[in-house]
Amino acid sequence: MSIRTITRRDFLKVASAAPLAGALRPGLKAGPAAAEGNVRVVLVRDENALDASGAPNPEAIQRMLDDGVRALLGERDIVKAWKSLIKAGDTVGIKTNAWGKLPTPGEVEQAIKRRVMDAGVPEDKLSVDDRGVLRNPIFQNATALINARPARTHQWSGMGSCIKNYIQFVPRPSAYHDDTCADLATIWNLPPVKGKTRLNVLVMLTPLFHMIGTQQYNKDFTWGYKGLIVSRDPVAADATGLRVLEAKRRDYFKDDGLLKPTPHHIQLADTRHHLGVSDPARIELVKLGWSEGILI
Amino acid sequence: MGQSIAPEARLLASYVPVAAGPWLSEADQVFDAASIFDYIDGAGEVYRSYNMKLLVARRFHKDGKPDIVVDAFEMGSSADAFGVFTHDLEGEDAGIGQGSAYKAGLLSFWKDRYFLSVYTEEETAETKALVLDLGRTIGGAIPAEGAKPGLLKLLPPEGLKAGRVRYFHNYSVLNYHFFVAASDILMLGQTAKAVLADYAESGDRSRLLIVEYAGPGEAARAGASFARAYMPDAGGKAAVRTENGKWTVVRIRGRYAAIVFDDASAGKAASRLDAVEALMGGIR
Repeated sequence: MSIRTITRRDFLKVASAAPLAGALRPGLKAGPAAAEGNVRVVLVRDENALDASGAPNPEAIQRMLDDGVRALLGERDIVKAWKSLIKAGDTVGIKTNAWGKLPTPGEVEQAIKRRVMDAGVPEDKLSVDDRGVLRNPIFQNATALINARPARTHQWSGMGSCIKNYIQFVPRPSAYHDDTCADLATIWNLPPVKGKTRLNVLVMLTPLFHMIGTQQYNKDFTWGYKGLIVSRDPVAADATGLRVLEAKRRDYFKDDGLLKPTPHHIQLADTRHHLGVSDPARIELVKLGWSEGILI
Repeated sequence: MGQSIAPEARLLASYVPVAAGPWLSEADQVFDAASIFDYIDGAGEVYRSYNMKLLVARRFHKDGKPDIVVDAFEMGSSADAFGVFTHDLEGEDAGIGQGSAYKAGLLSFWKDRYFLSVYTEEETAETKALVLDLGRTIGGAIPAEGAKPGLLKLLPPEGLKAGRVRYFHNYSVLNYHFFVAASDILMLGQTAKAVLADYAESGDRSRLLIVEYAGPGEAARAGASFARAYMPDAGGKAAVRTENGKWTVVRIRGRYAAIVFDDASAGKAASRLDAVEALMGGIR
């Protein structure tokens, strides 16, 4: 059986037929809304999310997370909302990201932890971890996972995404590096994580929109976007975060804004692996809070 | 983290000073192609794609000031040291080593079989000066120079944009610089050698890709694969006008494949390939 490959010429065809923003982007499709159901993504921003020094403001972060979860689930009572995500009997792993230059902020971890405990989970039945998840007894026995990480560019996968954040659940992450991490979504089908993720939080407080060099980080290529993206669907959360990163790059570099390498693992998580939805036309984006510089 | 101090690592470390002005160095970290993921996660694939052998990372610290990090790579060959340098050419030439670029606190350069990244976590006038001083010191300590990849000799000089030449092996890196296809339709791999160059003439911009395969058989198979996937509407010809109105022209000669992408004129593209072919005579 021959499998036809996608070439640059296919993208050129799309561009000539439908000159839409993003039509050349391998990561996202453009087109009419599909008949099947949409997924909801909430983008919540707060002008006061960071203090004058750039540190996260814990009260604002808690408020943003709560507002995001309320809007996502359509439940005004925040504890009821979390109880619909997490049961008191769950063992909960909060999967964060420890990359030293742009980790999941402690304030986000604490805000999530507080609401998991409000849902009735005792502290000894929850854990916050990244690199140690495979050795962590809570994660080994987890019945529920919360996935929280900052959005950033990545030198090999294109984007450090919610999908990619589960790479620590495999013993040899490099086994998923082929074709610049095209098939990361398959990790989500492995026993340690399959069906367990209750919420994805893509942290957009100070996203990294460009990288240079071995260390990949320069503060000049971050900005105070002061947002959180919240969704049950990791693919939709990532696709939305990608739109923000690319819009920022267009604004900054005055070019097409596309990430290099292409973060095609996001689209493939949808089209090849059916983990979630990457098509903006099928994403119901709810925007809350501060709108200045929202970019999308 | 790998900490074995092999003789090669000791030699590489000896090129890097133990202090940068009042910044003092911490203990070295040493990584190889297997352990580099412990240092920079998946980004290590970029350096592995250029056949990296060793990395010595040395961090310089001064209380209250941004750290400076030297990542010194032994790439195994000067061709791959040059190649990994061309992966990111953003920045101004700092006149260090055999080729350098400085931008936003990051100096990268290559010399002999080594690739160096000197980086400050925050660019200030002071740290920029230290980064450049460190680079000059390291570049001066590396005693020899290395040859650029021989494949570069096949690039016709007319219209070639200086500073826009990339050397690499695999299709992921090709796609990073110029997306061709979502799979390896050119049958690249660690044994293939490839150069991608930008050309600009009279406002028209095109790209020239030259790949050197292990032998003529591999080149012929790659040419057939490319024709099948990329230009099925060419009717067996070597040229096709693509959806943007520009021309893609391919030529296979011996162990080489040469392709012009996005040329405004099929004739000009063919002329460029003629020039490549003429240069092949000089390196056979």
